[in-house]
Amino acid sequence: MIINTKWLEKYTEVPFSPAELEERLTSLGLESAVRKSPVDGLKGVVVAEVLDVQHHPNADRLSVCRVNIGAAELSIVCGAPNVAKGQKVPLALLGTTLPNGMTLKPTKIRGVCSEGMICAEDELGISDDHSGIMTLDNDAPVGMELSEYLERNGKTLDVDLTPNRPDCASHIGIAREVTLLTGKDLRIPAAPIEESDEPVGNYIDVEIENPVGCPRYAARVIRGVKIAPSPVWLAKALESIGLRSINNVVDAANFVLMETGHPLHTFDYRNVHGKKIVVRSAAEGEIVTTLDGSERKLTRNVLLICDAERPVAVAGIMGLANSEIMPETTDVLIESAYFDPGTIRKGSKYLGLQTDASYRFERGADPEGVIYALNRLTSLIVEVAGGKVCRGIIDRYPTPIIRSEISVRLKRIFGLLDIRIDPVWIRELFQKLGAQIVAADPEKIVLISPSFRPDLTREVDYIEEVVRVYGMSNIPSARRLQIQPIVDVHTRHDLVEKLRTTVCSYGYDEVFNNSLVCERWTTFGVHPAQPVKLKNPLSQDMAYLRNSLIPGMIAAAKRNINRKNDDLKLFEIGYIQESDPKSETLAKETQKLAVLISGELEEKNWAHSSTKSDIFVLKGVIEDLIARFGFSSAIFVSENNEYFRHLIGVVVDEKEFGYVGEIDPGYLKNDWDIETPIFVMELNVSVLTETMRPAVKYHELPVYPSIERDVSIWVPEKLSVGETTETIRKHGGEYLREVRFYDLYTGKSVDKLKKSFTFNLVFQANDRTLKDEEVDKAMAAIHDALTNELNAKLR
Amino acid sequence: MNLLERAEEVRLQLKNDLAQVGSDLPSVENFRIKFLGKKGIIPALFSEFATLSNDAKRQFGKTLNELKNEAEHAVNSLQERLNKQETDSEFFDFTLPGKTPSLGHLHPVTQTLNRITDIFREIGFQIEYGPEVETDYHNFQALNIPENHPARDMQDTFYIDDSIVLRTHTSPIQVRTMLKSKPPIRILAPGRVYRNEAINARSYCLFHQIEGLYVDEHVTFAELKGTIEYFAKRFFGKNVIIRFRPSFFPFTEPSAEVDVSCYLCGAKGCRVCKHTGWLEIMGCGMVDPAVFAEVGIDPEKYTGYAFGMGADRIALQKYGIDDIRLFFDGDVRFLKQF
Repeated sequence: MIINTKWLEKYTEVPFSPAELEERLTSLGLESAVRKSPVDGLKGVVVAEVLDVQHHPNADRLSVCRVNIGAAELSIVCGAPNVAKGQKVPLALLGTTLPNGMTLKPTKIRGVCSEGMICAEDELGISDDHSGIMTLDNDAPVGMELSEYLERNGKTLDVDLTPNRPDCASHIGIAREVTLLTGKDLRIPAAPIEESDEPVGNYIDVEIENPVGCPRYAARVIRGVKIAPSPVWLAKALESIGLRSINNVVDAANFVLMETGHPLHTFDYRNVHGKKIVVRSAAEGEIVTTLDGSERKLTRNVLLICDAERPVAVAGIMGLANSEIMPETTDVLIESAYFDPGTIRKGSKYLGLQTDASYRFERGADPEGVIYALNRLTSLIVEVAGGKVCRGIIDRYPTPIIRSEISVRLKRIFGLLDIRIDPVWIRELFQKLGAQIVAADPEKIVLISPSFRPDLTREVDYIEEVVRVYGMSNIPSARRLQIQPIVDVHTRHDLVEKLRTTVCSYGYDEVFNNSLVCERWTTFGVHPAQPVKLKNPLSQDMAYLRNSLIPGMIAAAKRNINRKNDDLKLFEIGYIQESDPKSETLAKETQKLAVLISGELEEKNWAHSSTKSDIFVLKGVIEDLIARFGFSSAIFVSENNEYFRHLIGVVVDEKEFGYVGEIDPGYLKNDWDIETPIFVMELNVSVLTETMRPAVKYHELPVYPSIERDVSIWVPEKLSVGETTETIRKHGGEYLREVRFYDLYTGKSVDKLKKSFTFNLVFQANDRTLKDEEVDKAMAAIHDALTNELNAKLR
Repeated sequence: MNLLERAEEVRLQLKNDLAQVGSDLPSVENFRIKFLGKKGIIPALFSEFATLSNDAKRQFGKTLNELKNEAEHAVNSLQERLNKQETDSEFFDFTLPGKTPSLGHLHPVTQTLNRITDIFREIGFQIEYGPEVETDYHNFQALNIPENHPARDMQDTFYIDDSIVLRTHTSPIQVRTMLKSKPPIRILAPGRVYRNEAINARSYCLFHQIEGLYVDEHVTFAELKGTIEYFAKRFFGKNVIIRFRPSFFPFTEPSAEVDVSCYLCGAKGCRVCKHTGWLEIMGCGMVDPAVFAEVGIDPEKYTGYAFGMGADRIALQKYGIDDIRLFFDGDVRFLKQF
């Protein structure tokens, strides 16, 4: 809501500066901001009167003006086409710096001295208009600073209304709030009407077919108005809050809307056929053309105002072009109604059309304010456009809206706020709010809410009124807090955070990727699940919830690579969704950990050479995570998938844990235009967080020394390290503690064996120092097995 | 003078000479030769010692050995000192860059969420989660936001179908918790929430909210204020001023917005606080009786408060970031700053 401070003063005394008003209204819950003007505080631009305009001797398009600034007469060269004798204009004096940055210096323009500049609006930063100089009202006092002069028209205040306060979408509503602060009176303008002898019933009848959508409809008819431009005060008032002046009748309706907050509509009576207004629901598919020129197809949810033959307005939202006020209009039908908020809301949403009227109706207009608003507009139209008012009002209000009594218990107020407030102050506050006090005793106040406050329906609503007017800062904060000891452990949260910090400690940077992705990304992955689709996406690029974290990770890598950040170690912990018709929310959500590496692993450093990313770096991450989260081991399974060059599935505790892989280079090139290898893993976090792991158990440290032996063998090409390790373990005897693979060599070949493995074996007994002979025996068994079972050859 | 007295004399001489010996190689060598050389003072004593009777040997042996050890120790330390001098004169480039440990970085929003979570956990709040895809009932209706209510305009919503939405706030977790447990309830609910808003520097289609709820007998507005002030001073610094402004949320009443004095400029006015001296940090209020009625908690017996804030927005303020899209871009040059 836009408020003009000058306009506001019509309804109550406002003993605050605009800045104070902003602060005070904000403290009442009406978040306000004074609009800054570029001329605020500007000095050196004054109101000047143009005394005389002469042609410039040396230039056709320039003129030389003599202007009066009160203290002096100056000679000004001006290039504007609209400058004329007798105008009041803003004049920038020499030395002034204008809001656009220009500083005025004494200059000669084509040989004539100019002692200042008459300004256009763009030079003052007021608008972009450079078509001519700005002209001021004739009553502007010569010599006054322009900033001071413009201030006289009031400041503009933007009030950001919460949806519960439709009453404040008006100057009177805001003025009523001001009276809560000042204790001064609210002055509601009188609406004197001189009626003619012709009864309104001769001209119009109203029938409400849908009383749910339209509980009340009132109308008047004015005959013989003269449509003309609005008087200056009216046009200026509307302009001061950013509305365009149209003509006297339309402007009057807009003025009363902004004054009272009650939306009104004016019809050209000529085009209301059959002397009849019918309020009904639209037929499915009915088509109308609204005032803004748009053709709109309606549904049954839209309420229509019709004459005897056809629709003339979309109720509470917008009039139709067929009955709008025209320059030649002479008779006006005024509508003042109360429409059901939900009905208007549905219609407005369906049409995608929010207007000043629909905004107020859908939040709740004042059903008892219908007649005042009607009379106020009638009176104003007669004042600005003439005409004769037909006698009487048509007022259809079949079932008056009853407001029930509300009992507000003082104990409840004090209990909820933890403070005692003077009951007299509270009662007076409720009265100032417009409530009707039915009864009051030391325990409670029984009251009926004002009809313009649809938000006050319960006791707690009045407690809120007490808090906001009493002042939230005046309610002391508790100095001791109630704390509830927790016995339940935050297992899941703590485990997820442990996972996050552990992966971070491996040297990975955490990213947050968008959860909303394009359709193509949802086909990626090992077993892509049916994704969840949005009904109203921002764009097709964000039409699905992600069903894998990996495409988002590749996209993040892509952005980095484009910016020459080639060395990447990224991770994300986030949810993925898949369709699940059995779920209450139709979706199954799984928390995942994704990790991506590409490029060099270590930051380039003078002390060591770099390491390239590979799949085993990520496999190592998985192995370490499994150990840290208390699992004994994982099973790795080789898999095939079109998106991956190599893919290893991971199973833990017989549950699918995730996978690690190298993205297929062809897919990377074609779909992402990435030429560098990318390795990823995606794990199901809940496997780590939902299984209670046994507490860590300590193993006694060995007392007796261990014996280490190395074994190097040439092996067939297709023999895996895994199988070799198994064989060594199987034959290594009871004292073999560890088998560490530590070298893979493929330089030359021996007996057609092209690669070589080296293992480091650790032997140890718990109860004594092992003898070399015992280890020799075990080594011999290992050698035999490697040679005979695996066709390996000792190096 | 017997051997014992002479040995004592040599010990004194050794001490004297040691104090005066020069720190160059010839001086140290001369010192060594004087006391320990083949014809030095101490071997001379040992030669004499060899001529003694076994009884006398027993008497003097220990003393002589001690003297010898003392001299050897003195020579060793003199030689070490010489070695060290030599090393010290080699060029040592202390300006070589340190070998930085390569740790990763947690996302700034994670860090903000963790800090908030820690502060509230210290006063007994327990973490709860809820789904990102929510029913209209949990996200809106149970929170006193009926269909066709203008309050729905406060949150532009993504729909899956007519009754399923992407949650627009973490408040449905309140509803789920109150439906499944009885007061006292004291929870903190972090999570990703979605808004159908155009993406630009100021807004993104999702962000991370964290929400608190406390329901018990005698929970008051004063308690809410005290709790929020505790949090704000812990999070933003003990000198910040906290301001409560009346506001409106359908699920709380009375409702308030909370501002803290701008901790970046000391409330003098800066770009981040838009020269107002205040930063808006959260919304809060007393749980609306309509919400209690919906979840089956007796509003006459119990009261409660709720609060919620956007971790992304707080992180933007705290680090002076002016484009929220940076949080979701994954640029490592950005991430490594936190």
